[in-house]
Amino acid sequence: MRMAFSSEWLKLRSVASTYYALGSAALMMLFGVGWTIYVSSLAEERGSLRAAAPEEGFLPLVQISLATIGVLAITSEHATGMIRASLTAVPSRGTLLLAKAAVVGGVTFVAAHVVLLVTYVAARLIAGDRQLGFNSTGFSDDLPLLFASGVSVTVLALVGLGLGAVTRSTAAAIVSVVAMLFVLPGIATYLPQPWNSRVASLMLPNLVPQIAGDRLSSRLGDGLLSPGVAFVALISYALVALAVGFYFLWRRDA
Amino acid sequence: MPQPNGVIDLQHLTKRYGRTLAVDDLSFTVLPGHVTGFLGPNGAGKSTTMRLVLGLDAPSSGAALVNGKRYASLPRPMHEVGALLDAGAMHGGRSAFNHLLCLARTNGIGPGRVSEMLERVGLAGVAQKHVGGFSLGMKQRLGIAAALLGDPGVLMFDEPVNGLDPDGVRWIRDLMRSLAAEGRTILLSSHLMSEMALTADHIVIVGRGKLIAEETVQELTTRYPSLEDAYLALTAGSLEYGASGS
Amino acid sequence: MSVLASEWLKIRSVRSSHLTVSISLGGILLGLGLAWMAVDMYDHATPAQKPGARLAELEEVVLMVPQLCMGVLGVLATTSEYATGFIRTSLTAVPKRWPVMAGKSVVVGVIALFTGSAVIFATYFVCRALIADRFGGLYQIPFTDKLPLLTALALTVPVFALLGVGLGSILRTASGSIVVLVGAVYVVPIIVGNLPQPWSDLLGSVMIGALPHEITRDTTTNTVYGSLLPPVAAAAVLVTYALLPLLAGTWLLCRRDV
Ligand SMILES: Nc1ncnc2c1ncn2[C@@H]1O[C@H](COP(=O)(O)OP(=O)(O)O)[C@@H](O)[C@H]1O
Ligand SMILES: [Mg+2]
Repeated sequence: MRMAFSSEWLKLRSVASTYYALGSAALMMLFGVGWTIYVSSLAEERGSLRAAAPEEGFLPLVQISLATIGVLAITSEHATGMIRASLTAVPSRGTLLLAKAAVVGGVTFVAAHVVLLVTYVAARLIAGDRQLGFNSTGFSDDLPLLFASGVSVTVLALVGLGLGAVTRSTAAAIVSVVAMLFVLPGIATYLPQPWNSRVASLMLPNLVPQIAGDRLSSRLGDGLLSPGVAFVALISYALVALAVGFYFLWRRDA
Repeated sequence: MPQPNGVIDLQHLTKRYGRTLAVDDLSFTVLPGHVTGFLGPNGAGKSTTMRLVLGLDAPSSGAALVNGKRYASLPRPMHEVGALLDAGAMHGGRSAFNHLLCLARTNGIGPGRVSEMLERVGLAGVAQKHVGGFSLGMKQRLGIAAALLGDPGVLMFDEPVNGLDPDGVRWIRDLMRSLAAEGRTILLSSHLMSEMALTADHIVIVGRGKLIAEETVQELTTRYPSLEDAYLALTAGSLEYGASGS
Repeated sequence: MSVLASEWLKIRSVRSSHLTVSISLGGILLGLGLAWMAVDMYDHATPAQKPGARLAELEEVVLMVPQLCMGVLGVLATTSEYATGFIRTSLTAVPKRWPVMAGKSVVVGVIALFTGSAVIFATYFVCRALIADRFGGLYQIPFTDKLPLLTALALTVPVFALLGVGLGSILRTASGSIVVLVGAVYVVPIIVGNLPQPWSDLLGSVMIGALPHEITRDTTTNTVYGSLLPPVAAAAVLVTYALLPLLAGTWLLCRRDV
């Protein structure tokens, strides 16, 4: 397992797509700084205002960027045929998928939290004591949401890995991730009441505010899940996707 | 009974893809110390057989054993079996060195051995270049380097001379013979008879997934004018893709 | 003409095309399901709740499905040729490069236009039949009054498809192109929606989702986007979304080695 892990770590480090994905996630820091400077200047004119926190507003950018790392970890091997060489070197398919999951999980967990924290801190430093709406709470109050956001990124990357093992296609796996992240929650919002908040409470991106005990949105109001249940649901997304991915990798000819 | 070493053993191996019977009740044994040529027309089931040996595809029935065990049960398989299947199957954005190191690490093989193998196949000069820019011949060499990484006793090569220049073909031939002389088991597939006549000592011929002949080159050439005649005569009934009415 | 025929054959003969078109048409079933659910909900509501019951236009809700799928169809139409190296064969067969892009765009655009129109109009009529006079007569507006908006909505689908073709030929990888497409379509509007005024309305007015309402000066529905552009300008912006990446991609194809 340690050897398979070190191989997967090198695989990830030695392709350009990983750096594109990390770079695109890192744009959040740039956007976050630009955003805070901009709303700060507005606050100078208007006194106080209620702006969205950059680490929340730009979260989808980090989620979709880093999810592609998970998708490509497996679909690029299917696309090139490298999967056969990999499975010849590591015949145990569970070990191979677990090693990939560990590397993808670790890298996206660290990258997401670094990007989120840097954005968070930079935004507060730039904001100073201006009243921007998002900077009135203390770090310990914001911590649950930051942590849940970071975990959601890792979960999406692992979901991408699992769906990649199922579909074996980069396009199909990314589209499936997009569907879970944007399309399904979008449709859920427009369901007739009370189904909209029931279904929306279970949608992956909506678990993040529920873990932090925040409401889903002004339209949907409070979610139905307690923070603990929402956290378990978030982790379950990753576990279920990986289990299904393993089943397909294990059952099918390579 | 001593552990059989360096042996590929197929026992009634059968593989079905939907309605296609790719490998049909195939049984033969490949022994160490010489090059065994694996011959058959396109679509005869050679590549499928190799994938079955490597546990990449699951047999519909029967078994393929390496050194008496199923491939998937080998703890560090690269030290026992090396294989070149499809030369193009590598991530084009990775350097040759990193491509090999990715595979090497899974079996605890270090970077020194990777450099050594790149040297051996003549790719040391392009070790840091992206494999996406390699010619087919260079990819074949890289694939052979990957197969040799673990210094395995059993080696399988699927059509390794495709895309090689005459120099490369000569190089492969000498490499195969020297690997066999070191006491290794070599299974070398090809549909090129002329090449096989110069390289192999034993010949296994398959057609439509079935075993047609398993003999030494010597036996075949005493019965037929040439190895090519032997091949054409034996596979005449099992051409899947060929000119009709010839 | 032969370029068109060859591009049509290329698209028709791969599984991903059938899949993306089928999933798009599945949007109609989704609309049917949502309408059915809404009707059930409405009929079980108390008389006091009924006047306040609200529903979004379901054809606009399901529009996301064909938009995304046809965008992916456009991306794959180009990137799959790079992935397989088939682009070299294509360009050997047709050495002049821009006709290949033009042929691809026409074929992808026409498929997306038909698919998008089918989804929009079929969903609309399904909802109209099922919902009837419920939800405050949402689906009782005369069809002729809805026709311009429905047409404009359907037209966004080929725009997505051509955006996909353009991005695919610029970036040449499926993963990068789809992520950029998704970013432009889902992530940017979320960010724009969060901007303080006047930027939220200004930029919101040029989001693809806002354009159909602006083009038709539609007043029958609410939009979450801005609505500042006059119809002609909105139409020009919609065309720009499709053409700009396409032209950039064609230019790059003509200049780059393949
Ligand atoms: N993954 C697969 N799915 C379906 N059919 C396959 C697959 N792999 C091989 N075949 C079929 O099995 C037969 C044997 O193929 P193969 O082993 O590649 O032959 P060879 O390597 O001798 O040319 C062919 O008819 C081929 O079409
Ligand atoms: Mg073959």
